[in-house]
Amino acid sequence: MPPEAAPTWAEFVTGLDLFLDPMLCGAVAGLVLGFLGVYVVLRRMVFVSAAITHSAGLGVALTFYAQIHLSWLGSLANPFVGAFLLGIGSTLLLVANPARLGLTRESLIGLVFIFASGTALLVADRISQESHDIHSIIFGTAVLVSKGDLYTTLGTGSLTMLLHLWLRRALIFTSFDADGARVQGLPTRALDGLLLASIGLMVSVTTRALGAMPVFAFSVLPAMTALSLGRRLSAVFTLAAMLGLLSAVLGYLAAFFLRFPVGACQTVVAALFAALAMALRALRR
Amino acid sequence: MTCRDLVVGYGGKPLLPPINFTIFHHQLCAVVGRNGAGKTTWFRTLLGLLPSVGGQLSTCRPDLPMAYIPQRSQLDPIVPLRARDLVAQGLERGRHYLRPLLSRDEQQRVSWALQEMGAADLGRMQFAQLSEGQKQRVLMARLLCSQPELAVLDEPTAAMDAVAERETLQLIDNLRRDYGLAILIVSHHLPVVSLFADQVIFFDRASQNVVAGQPETVFDDPVFRAHYGDEATQALRASREREKTQRVEVHEQDHDHAS
Repeated sequence: MPPEAAPTWAEFVTGLDLFLDPMLCGAVAGLVLGFLGVYVVLRRMVFVSAAITHSAGLGVALTFYAQIHLSWLGSLANPFVGAFLLGIGSTLLLVANPARLGLTRESLIGLVFIFASGTALLVADRISQESHDIHSIIFGTAVLVSKGDLYTTLGTGSLTMLLHLWLRRALIFTSFDADGARVQGLPTRALDGLLLASIGLMVSVTTRALGAMPVFAFSVLPAMTALSLGRRLSAVFTLAAMLGLLSAVLGYLAAFFLRFPVGACQTVVAALFAALAMALRALRR
Repeated sequence: MTCRDLVVGYGGKPLLPPINFTIFHHQLCAVVGRNGAGKTTWFRTLLGLLPSVGGQLSTCRPDLPMAYIPQRSQLDPIVPLRARDLVAQGLERGRHYLRPLLSRDEQQRVSWALQEMGAADLGRMQFAQLSEGQKQRVLMARLLCSQPELAVLDEPTAAMDAVAERETLQLIDNLRRDYGLAILIVSHHLPVVSLFADQVIFFDRASQNVVAGQPETVFDDPVFRAHYGDEATQALRASREREKTQRVEVHEQDHDHAS
């Protein structure tokens, strides 16, 4: 049997109506998560992001289960609501004082991550007719996104960026010198809560649309890359956002032309940018 | 700011006996004692970062503007902040953060603060790449920018050589004198800090003692002398006398030149 011909640009352009929404959704997610990722990396919250994305994935899985087995819930069983509730819930749990539970923060993050991942797979086992969707939720193999997911991502992303650009000086001061900020009268607890809630919300929304793996990648790798290259914090934020956007778009194109899963391609492109940046930095020295 | 029988501690449990202390504008107070003595708990309570366990804390007016300069080692070196960005944080007081952009006047105030602290040429440099002395100048520029009336500086001369330490303390003393700040310096380097201090407050948690007052009074206290030893205390007193004499001589020379 002759091998299948590789897709062409002409085919891509012909199908642009189909591909534009997921590319746009990925671009917005990459941009906003790349921006937020600077806080995630600098505040050493990398695996907090992983735990939240997998919790959001579990939320979506539980919603599918409810739709099939608990039909009396009706339209309340909405995947976005499931992702949001568990995403925000895990955010609140992870920012609480772990010492009260006799745990370190790392072990609490590990617990949430492992519990969410394992439970999502258990739930997937009970939803055999939806298991493909569960897989795509976790690993991001979905090529298409719904209009609802696109508009939710656009709306949430726009609101998040507006808030962050407006309050950026306060968020930076609070993040990196909380005591100094509090003494000068800034509402540091509220600002911290806003930062973490915006990360939790954006992760929840985009996990539903793109999958947990690319969302985790966007919230860590573009920021790491930007920090390797940037010398000013404002430049780092801009670069991280652009790299997130590029990783999403180029990853989608790579998936189309190379016939690979979308989420995995987006993740690898983001990782390649990071590797290139570190190589450049090593050469500079 | 006045502490009246102020009790500090955690979770409702006192760490030290009640503290009575007052600091006025234009005063510099050295906060001394070994690690774990309660210095940090006390000043964090003064700054409102911790609730008091008992007693009273009052200020000359409500919402007294305060500033806190942490130990330089507490500022994360991987955060790519320029010196100028860090100084601009001093502008954020109260609800100022709600303004999306800084005005030209505010930008100029940042430049002025850097210049006053002899750090004008450091503005565009990465804070993490500066020397310890340069970092402290930038942090004091931030303090100046924030226009406080009370400032707490935590170990401002840590990891500095003797010359840099002396220069830094002189800079802090100038802030006190020229801008009327009340300044609390937490330090382990008592011999140098006490040269500039108008007051000393000494913490000793082991013996549950807090001794506060003019340096000579504190040096004479039996608890202080038991902690530092008679020889060291004599040396402190002698160096303060020498410092006072030198300052009088410099003042007389300046007066002669002026007339």
